[in-house]
Amino acid sequence: MMNSSGGGGGRMPTSTATSSSTTSRSSWRSTSVSGSGKRIQKELKDLDSQPPPLSSAGPIADNLYHWLATFIGPTGTPYEGGIFFLHILFPVDYPFKPPKVVFKTRIYHCNVDSSGNLNLDILKDGWSPALTISKLLLAIRSMFFTPNLHPYNAVPSIAHLYQVDRKTHNELAAEWTFRFAK
Amino acid sequence: MSSLNSSSSTMGNKPTNCLDSHQQQLEDDDEETISDSFICCVCLDLLYKPIVLECGHVSCFWCVHKSMDAIHESHCPICRHPYHYFPTICEMLHFLLLKMYPLAYKRREEQILEEEKANGCFSPQLDSKEFYSSDGSRPSAVSDLASLSGIASAGKHSSKMDSNGSSASKENDLSAVNINRTYERVSSNDVLCPSCKLLLFRPAVLNCGHVYCEACIVIPEDGIIICKVCEYPHPSDRPNVCLDFNNFLEERFRKEYAAQRESVEQKQERFHHKNPSSCSGSKKSAKKVCCRPTRHGEESKPTENEHKPKVHAGAGCDYCGMYPIVGDRYQCQDCVEVMGFDLCGDCYNTRSKRPGRFNQQHTSDHRFELVKPRALPSNVMLRIVGGYLVDNSGAPVLAISAMEDPPDGWIAVESLEARQNLFNNVADLDGNPGDIMHDNGDSPDGSVEIEFSDAVEVSGHHDDDNVDQYGGEDPPF
Repeated sequence: MMNSSGGGGGRMPTSTATSSSTTSRSSWRSTSVSGSGKRIQKELKDLDSQPPPLSSAGPIADNLYHWLATFIGPTGTPYEGGIFFLHILFPVDYPFKPPKVVFKTRIYHCNVDSSGNLNLDILKDGWSPALTISKLLLAIRSMFFTPNLHPYNAVPSIAHLYQVDRKTHNELAAEWTFRFAK
Repeated sequence: MSSLNSSSSTMGNKPTNCLDSHQQQLEDDDEETISDSFICCVCLDLLYKPIVLECGHVSCFWCVHKSMDAIHESHCPICRHPYHYFPTICEMLHFLLLKMYPLAYKRREEQILEEEKANGCFSPQLDSKEFYSSDGSRPSAVSDLASLSGIASAGKHSSKMDSNGSSASKENDLSAVNINRTYERVSSNDVLCPSCKLLLFRPAVLNCGHVYCEACIVIPEDGIIICKVCEYPHPSDRPNVCLDFNNFLEERFRKEYAAQRESVEQKQERFHHKNPSSCSGSKKSAKKVCCRPTRHGEESKPTENEHKPKVHAGAGCDYCGMYPIVGDRYQCQDCVEVMGFDLCGDCYNTRSKRPGRFNQQHTSDHRFELVKPRALPSNVMLRIVGGYLVDNSGAPVLAISAMEDPPDGWIAVESLEARQNLFNNVADLDGNPGDIMHDNGDSPDGSVEIEFSDAVEVSGHHDDDNVDQYGGEDPPF
């Protein structure tokens, strides 16, 4: 785990160094990879000491940049009783760019598109480097209660149904939960 | 408690430099309980070379720099307060942290220096003399590594003794004691306002990194705050109080702080009766004021105004800190550093003699050249890639794979760094970084690449038909 992130840290700078020699010294922009690994490790440590309610998250195998998160559908929602698996993919310049979240369990939700990509404001323009995975998990949890509507609905038809016919929406969501998440 | 004892016993046997960094970190954390106020919100570690933004939130030098937006206005990571100028390191906080957490700060210094060496870009070296010059009687300055390690080992020694003595106390008590002890390393002489020469009361930090009491920052009639120490014009409105620093002062100097509060309140009362502009006297260099697109940020969103080509994406002014530079940009032809040295039009005209913000060895006899904004390949590419992205989410994969091995021409000339910027920018503009970030060209290791390419395939399947299908009444089986 340590080695893989360290290796990445080694590779990146050499490429920047070569580029700097060929092109104009031009910008204030710099890139560093090792910082992301350190930060992810810290978050992992914090998650271990303070696990979020009804969810868990951690790296898959030895890859620090690829996590699996598990959610239990909150009671009082159509997702009650379901167990949802999500993949969290960290970009190399995390936390300056948001992670990508993909639902691996099918879910009927207007913020999750057909391939499972999660579309939330804080994963797009709303991202801030001060946000952490534990805050992200909280946001995802609140998404089960209240979807993130326009402009972040990945599936407009579900969002529409949610607004005009909540009952049917909830029935469908519960049906999907029963079929795919149990 | 047990971990503390065991660590101190290993320390008795081994010299400290034998410990690897991880172990070192654990020990630092045990011995120097770092207050939450001094943890950077971005790297989640002890603040290193802290920068206070005008909203009053603190972050490390590199964390602020990397959080800044290369083509748009930047926002505070915590409160999203918009800003356009890269502030200078707050030296007072820097030296306070160095005093309070010598071990952890030294660890951070080494760690950051390693990263900087790898990247070829350096943060400013802070000279301790300047800070200590006001009070010559202070014990040795602790900036250089040699003297620091001496202090560090002394610190370890004393805390080892203490931990043995207080082994019966609970861990919470211990951490509270530790915090108190680290706080006591700071004397009130370290935290004086340069204006009123008293203990800082509600400290606010200007863009140049100098700290004043909130009440001592007086806005002159022309509306431009000028630092009394370095005469640097503060590019925006009155900065907010740095609450983390304020809380620390209040906790560490309870009595003095309360006295300050009283006197300030009294002063304010008197102030209302008297002439309100009595204690300004800081307008002497108003002509130096420069590079303020607007004070209220109407113009500061470069992409939204008509002068879009005048935005120098990814280039910042080394004097005033404007990032990205909007308007004229002068580039130093003689600085050899990777970062380069740039000035905005106004700062070029005032010929400031500040050193660069990244420790560039810039001197006043260097030649400058007026640079046009790179009509950036990225501008062209933004349009192309952007077009693809609008059409169909499968297409960016094509666009990017075409970029992977450029046939010939400009992309080969463009640095890898610029490519990275390009992709970052595309991601910013489209608000859809997920599809692109995997091809930034570098991943921490091979397996990540594989995983990301998986993700690409998945997102490649996504098109409108599918959405409709799933939006329908029945879930497919």
